[in-house]
Amino acid sequence: MHVMLVEDDDSLGSAIKRALEAMSHAVTWIRDGRAAAAAMRDEGTDLILLDLGLPGRDGLDVLTEARRDHVKTPVLILTARDTLEARVAGLDAGADDYLIKPFHVEELNARIRSISRRAQGLAANRVEAGGLVLDLATCQVEHEGQHMALTRREFTLLRVLMERAGRIVRRESLEQTVYGLDRGVESNALEVQIHGLRRKVGAQTIRTVRGIGYMIPRDAT
Amino acid sequence: MKGASLRARLRWLNLAVVAVVMVLLGIASYSHTLGEVDELSDGRLAESARTLEALLAGDAGQYFRQARETSLSIAKPSRAAVIDVNGHHFETEVGFQVFGPAGHLRMFTSNLRNMTPPDLAEKGFGNVRFDNHEWRIFTLRDVQDPSGDASHPLVIRVAERYDSRNEITHALLIEHTVPLLIGLPVLALLIGWAVRRGLRPLDELAHALQGREPGSRVHIDLADPPRELQPVIEAMNRQFDRLEDSLERERRFSADVAHELRTPLAATLVHIENAMAATSIEAKAEPLQSAHKSTGALARRIEQLLSLVRLEAGAAAQARRELDLVPIVTEVVDEMALLIANGHVELSFFTSDERIVVLGHDAALRALIRNLVENALRHIGRGGQVDISLTRTSSWVLIEVSDDGPGIPVERREAVFTRFHREAGNNNDGYGLGLSIVQRAAELHGARIELLDSSFGTGLRVRVEIPLAWDPVA
Repeated sequence: MHVMLVEDDDSLGSAIKRALEAMSHAVTWIRDGRAAAAAMRDEGTDLILLDLGLPGRDGLDVLTEARRDHVKTPVLILTARDTLEARVAGLDAGADDYLIKPFHVEELNARIRSISRRAQGLAANRVEAGGLVLDLATCQVEHEGQHMALTRREFTLLRVLMERAGRIVRRESLEQTVYGLDRGVESNALEVQIHGLRRKVGAQTIRTVRGIGYMIPRDAT
Repeated sequence: MKGASLRARLRWLNLAVVAVVMVLLGIASYSHTLGEVDELSDGRLAESARTLEALLAGDAGQYFRQARETSLSIAKPSRAAVIDVNGHHFETEVGFQVFGPAGHLRMFTSNLRNMTPPDLAEKGFGNVRFDNHEWRIFTLRDVQDPSGDASHPLVIRVAERYDSRNEITHALLIEHTVPLLIGLPVLALLIGWAVRRGLRPLDELAHALQGREPGSRVHIDLADPPRELQPVIEAMNRQFDRLEDSLERERRFSADVAHELRTPLAATLVHIENAMAATSIEAKAEPLQSAHKSTGALARRIEQLLSLVRLEAGAAAQARRELDLVPIVTEVVDEMALLIANGHVELSFFTSDERIVVLGHDAALRALIRNLVENALRHIGRGGQVDISLTRTSSWVLIEVSDDGPGIPVERREAVFTRFHREAGNNNDGYGLGLSIVQRAAELHGARIELLDSSFGTGLRVRVEIPLAWDPVA
């Protein structure tokens, strides 16, 4: 998942980035309000973690404006403002969730999963498609009862395809989810990842839609 | 003592005053009436003596003439005329005696038969004790004997028992006191009602105060406040404003404190959890170092916050005294020797006089200088420069700290003073918290803070102007 982290504190920002990357998310880190306002319009973002007390512009302002401009990306507010008024104002401004500092990484991850489930219209942490079962909480994939060892990027790739099973996922979208806004990746990096993944889950599971992207067919019920 | 009701107090005071005036008026009126009754009764007594005299001169004198013609001795008491007065019991309370020249009774009412004859001096009004009663008497001398003997005048004495007068005065007393006794409770009720009505604005005020939401800035406003309550209401409203202001400041402060502490705390926590999640020793090293660093930042923030709190408390508790700023700057620089040495900082201190004395709070001035210097040190690069200067003019002492760090753009300098404001690009230790300590310390000395361009070309110069003559109360 491609997460945009808006946090002005160096130390906390780097810590969160590290924790998210450990959960195989691609992280783009933005440090001030003005830059965040521009970056939120980027459609390749799956989730925004937003601090409120930002230099330049207040996070709440940025969020209100983004929602007014029909930016639909889920937003999780991450702030030290703990008053009832602040929480209500944050949620009413269009945030999907609100987490008060300090927090535990486990809880942050659980909330990210929850937001992502809701965004995909899922009720549980399990996604099933193409004969595979993917557990969002434990980051494990099973194929016919067999546990499979996947790299972080393979897992992310598989998760996106499984969550949107039956639909074609565009190349660009997949690239952003896996690599974030990092423009320095090789142009064939995604193909290499897909190739590696097919070897593990079976070549027929992931279909190529030439010129557009990839898809995993929905399970017949 | 439990606070007595103002209403009860007013009611009782009113009632007491009215009662005292009424009783005094009653006593005055009663004693005046008593005098009038005495005068009237004495007049009637004298009148009846004169009537008797006139009667004796008229037909009633017949008896005396007959007595003379029959050569009876008028001295013989057995021949005296007795008028029986036992008909009605009131009759026994009045009577008269007529004495002959030798003091013999010549005529008398039966109830006064044994009253002692008057001595020679007795004349006009007098009091006599007789028959266990006090009698008022009037004695008329030199009454012409109807028998014509001018050398033997008669003496008439009329008497009236005091009891009969007392009956009148008793009646009068009752007439005076009964309305008073009935009137007082009625008065008490009326006064109570009047007091309650008169004090209604107080009830309205109490009601308005009770209905007031704490935390709101709504003023107490009575529709038509009495003149006496106006200053009270105005003072209360001003007090409410001040209270709300300080509550608001407190709320903002605690929110700011929360923010200042929570962010480094969150960072520390996430770093530690990252280290715990890392599977190899090598992978744990970096997050642990970061955790250590953010714990240091947290400790510094706590220290700064405590110094801010101490500043507030100290200013309230301590009097200002004369302080020399030169040794304070030297000591502050000494405290930071390690920071200066490690950063290879070029620090210089200039002072216009050997001693620069201001009237102030020691802890506050120390915190002010320490935070200025610390802010400068933290915002310059390795090998950077910091200048500290103290200048004394005729009316000000200037403290200036310049650095060659990144500085603060002119348009953001105003915003920096809001408490805990954080400047973009200076992530770990914003100017904000340090500057808010400087600002609070400056306020305690009536000082002005200016953010100026540094003389180094880049960087910030903070100037604090402490007035030499400043009255904190004004």
